[in-house]
Amino acid sequence: MGKPTDLVQGTLDLLIMRTIALEPMHGWGIAQRIQLVSKNALQVRQGALYPALHRLEQQGWIRAKWGDSDNNRHAKYYSLTGAGRKYLQKEQANWERLSSAIGLVLDGAEG
Amino acid sequence: MRQLNRLSLWLRSVFHRRSVDGELDSELQFHLERQIAANIAAGVPPPEARRDALREFGGLEQLKEECRDARNINWLQDFAQDVRYALRVLRKPPAFTAIIVITLALGIGANTAIFSIVDSLLLRPLPAKDPGQLAVLAFRQGDGPLLTPFSIADYRDIRAQSSSVFSDMLGFQLSLDGISMKGRADRVLINYVTGNYFSVLGLKPYLGRLILPSEGQTPGADPVIVLSYAFWKNHFGADPSIIGKQILVNGHPAAVIGVAPRGFFGLDPAPGVEAFLPLAMLGTYGQGWPADFMTNRVLQNLLIFARRRSGVSLANAGAALDVVARRLSAQYPTTDKNLQLSVYSAQFARPDPSTARTFIAAAALFLALVALVLLLACANIANLLLVRASTRQREMAVRAALGAPHSRLIRQLLTESIVLALFGGLGGLFLGIWGARAIGSINLHTPVNVPLYLGFDWRVFVYAFGAALLTGILVGIIPALRVSRTRISIALHESGRSVASGKNRFRAVLVVLQVAGSLMLLVIAGLFTRSLSAVQHANLGFDPHNIVNFVMDPTEVGYNETQGLAFYNSLLERIRALPGVQSASLTSSLPMGNYGNNDYLKISGYQNPSGQGLPLVSYSVISPEYFRTMGISMLQGRSFSAADAKGSPGVAIVSEAFATRFWDHQNPIGQHFAKASGATNPVYEVIGVAHDARFSGLSGAIDPYFYLPVAQDYALSSLQALQIRSAAPPDAVMREGQSVIHSLAPDLPVFDVETMSESLETLAGFLIFQLGAGLAAALGLLGLILAVVGVYGVISYSVSQRTHEIGIRMALGAQRAEVLKMILGQGFVIVAAGLALGCLCAFAAARLIANMLVGVSTADPITYSAVVALLGLIGLAACYVPARRAMRVDPMVALRYE
Repeated sequence: MGKPTDLVQGTLDLLIMRTIALEPMHGWGIAQRIQLVSKNALQVRQGALYPALHRLEQQGWIRAKWGDSDNNRHAKYYSLTGAGRKYLQKEQANWERLSSAIGLVLDGAEG
Repeated sequence: MRQLNRLSLWLRSVFHRRSVDGELDSELQFHLERQIAANIAAGVPPPEARRDALREFGGLEQLKEECRDARNINWLQDFAQDVRYALRVLRKPPAFTAIIVITLALGIGANTAIFSIVDSLLLRPLPAKDPGQLAVLAFRQGDGPLLTPFSIADYRDIRAQSSSVFSDMLGFQLSLDGISMKGRADRVLINYVTGNYFSVLGLKPYLGRLILPSEGQTPGADPVIVLSYAFWKNHFGADPSIIGKQILVNGHPAAVIGVAPRGFFGLDPAPGVEAFLPLAMLGTYGQGWPADFMTNRVLQNLLIFARRRSGVSLANAGAALDVVARRLSAQYPTTDKNLQLSVYSAQFARPDPSTARTFIAAAALFLALVALVLLLACANIANLLLVRASTRQREMAVRAALGAPHSRLIRQLLTESIVLALFGGLGGLFLGIWGARAIGSINLHTPVNVPLYLGFDWRVFVYAFGAALLTGILVGIIPALRVSRTRISIALHESGRSVASGKNRFRAVLVVLQVAGSLMLLVIAGLFTRSLSAVQHANLGFDPHNIVNFVMDPTEVGYNETQGLAFYNSLLERIRALPGVQSASLTSSLPMGNYGNNDYLKISGYQNPSGQGLPLVSYSVISPEYFRTMGISMLQGRSFSAADAKGSPGVAIVSEAFATRFWDHQNPIGQHFAKASGATNPVYEVIGVAHDARFSGLSGAIDPYFYLPVAQDYALSSLQALQIRSAAPPDAVMREGQSVIHSLAPDLPVFDVETMSESLETLAGFLIFQLGAGLAAALGLLGLILAVVGVYGVISYSVSQRTHEIGIRMALGAQRAEVLKMILGQGFVIVAAGLALGCLCAFAAARLIANMLVGVSTADPITYSAVVALLGLIGLAACYVPARRAMRVDPMVALRYE
């Protein structure tokens, strides 16, 4: 795997964790929410979403629980674990620092 | 917590695969349904909505696979698959697998056997609490040898003055004594220990109590005894009511106070101690101890172990001891002059600091030799696997063509060889444990049992398992790399023959290494064998043939000196009356034996070199006919006679080396000397000089020695070996001798009944050479077999590969003799290269063992030429069989082949 994929993967992890930080959600819901919040700018493909969810679960950042969905279907809901919450805070801070740094460089180059 | 959750999640993924997969299915199904519903809601007609949703998903199976990958379980499934596949492949040609497993089992078994012996003698931690903190003390005076026995007085001083570096210090002294209860005496190895012995070691009793620090201070005050667990079990039937009962030690009562912990046999790796008595009871139970044995600095028998304080290094402890040594040297100039103390980690100074290096070198040598055998076995197996790999080229090519990555193929082939090796390792473990027991049960000719603790030790398991794993990787890696590197198109289109040429060269190199390795093993075996024969034929200064020995000690059944002497006198009289007996006599010490006396001497007319302590000389207490029985001739003066009895002037006979060393250029007859340690130290007048005889050490200069008459010096050694020189067969002499002894003293234990030649086979005598030669020969034979199989395998494989070519040559008119010559020549080059390389390696290796050899040079031409000739002939014979097959090749058949 090359660098760009890693970046996307890391970013996707961050997006997923941020999305389920508020309430437990199933895979479909997570994809929809990311699309909605990003005003259709970010579309999460299933091919990337589910491996990411399973990896995050295996790493212990999120946990899964079966529950009933709004239309009474059995669905797998993901939520953050305690460790995941701390990890998210750290990663989010990292991300903000990085993006503001990139922003500064880009602005500086324009001016 | 998080790690624990991860583990349980992973385990669930592994062991509940079906339900986890089911969940994954329904999770994805749910997503699919929502997508379809969303598509329909957006106005897409249902069939198309479904198709769009599926398309968006991509490959459903692939997605599932990626999710499984994310759970880190695929490698495990691959591994299980590889193992299953390996087991199936290995079942197919059972003979092939059996040969490999047996070869490996032999190789790993030999390694395990040697390792478990090294483990039990050198590696196993001492049976104490925090054994790493234990240190052993030794000393040297001036340029003298490194010694470990201290005097009790020195022990007390050193202990008192070194408490800054040692939290405590214990001492113990070995002794062989008779223990009896209800009239039956057994002879056992005893440790007389300082009172703190058990507390310093941190041991808890199995039963009753152990000796206390307060005991063992005052001579005669604490008549108590602690039994070893094994002795208690074997001699008292594990009867707990023994505690508090009285038993007799050399005829004197002692109260049993406890049983030592199970598996504790004292601090020596061997032999095993069976009972423990307080040190201060030495004078009560032992015999011949002067009243001042606790304060006498000449009597040096106490071995000292110390416990280092935490944080104190050996160097620190050594520095502190230097100060103590200087103080003692100044304080006691007569006995402790130029004293240097040294300290060693007890773990790495076994059996004792002065011989530990030789022991470790011998252990390393045999471990290296046996590892070489395993390497030879590996070479054979790698060869066999290479043959098989070439037959499986097509299979691998097909797999590669179907998309298996190289790493996956290598992993599978390695799994196969590791599975093979683990089977071999399992066999090897059993063979090894059996082999170690066989070696451990060799009669060491020691007076007491030597417990080699060959129980199941984790180190042995780890060693065998590690050896197997390494072997599996070693033998598998090259065939695996080769196969996986095969170019698919070539392998799929052509038969294996076209790509085999490079491989043959590699296999030939393997065989060269095998021949070289087995030559090395055989040369070392040969050198040990020649050493053994050299020492067996060396002139020891006495004639060991036609002599039978019986060892006994009347003190063990409570005889006093008068009773003991009377017993010995009538014994000799009765024995001499037996038919065939040429002479019979007594001696306190047998050559290369385990009992002996020595003492520091004050010698008239001899000036002690400055900076050295008094000379320490060994001696025997003997009866008059001794020199006749042993075939030692007198050089000067007379032998002892009946007139040299109690009350008449003290007399002694000295050896030639004694006379030369101390009275060079003077007539030794009529000179005087005295021992320095005894209570009264009588002066001995020299009445004769005997030819030198070797009592210890099989090579080098013979040390001074002297003899005292038992009639005058019974107290120095009531233990005597009766020696009978007789024309009668040894069996008959043993039987008659024992019956005479028992008719005179029915309860007296008699031990070490054997011929004089047999009794030379002790660890101090021939045994070490016999063991070395036997072990090296066994390894050499194993190496030889492996090398022959290797040579044969390579040549016959090459013949089968070249059948086509040979057929063409013969069709074109080549003679059979030429074909034979060609194939033999090919074999000869391999064998000759192996022999040349082997000679170089053997020469280098032999230099490492030079100090273990006696009477033979490391470049001994006889050994080298015999081994080269033997290996060369056997190697050529191994080539000859396939060469003949090549000669008989029918050109028509060969050309039609393939």
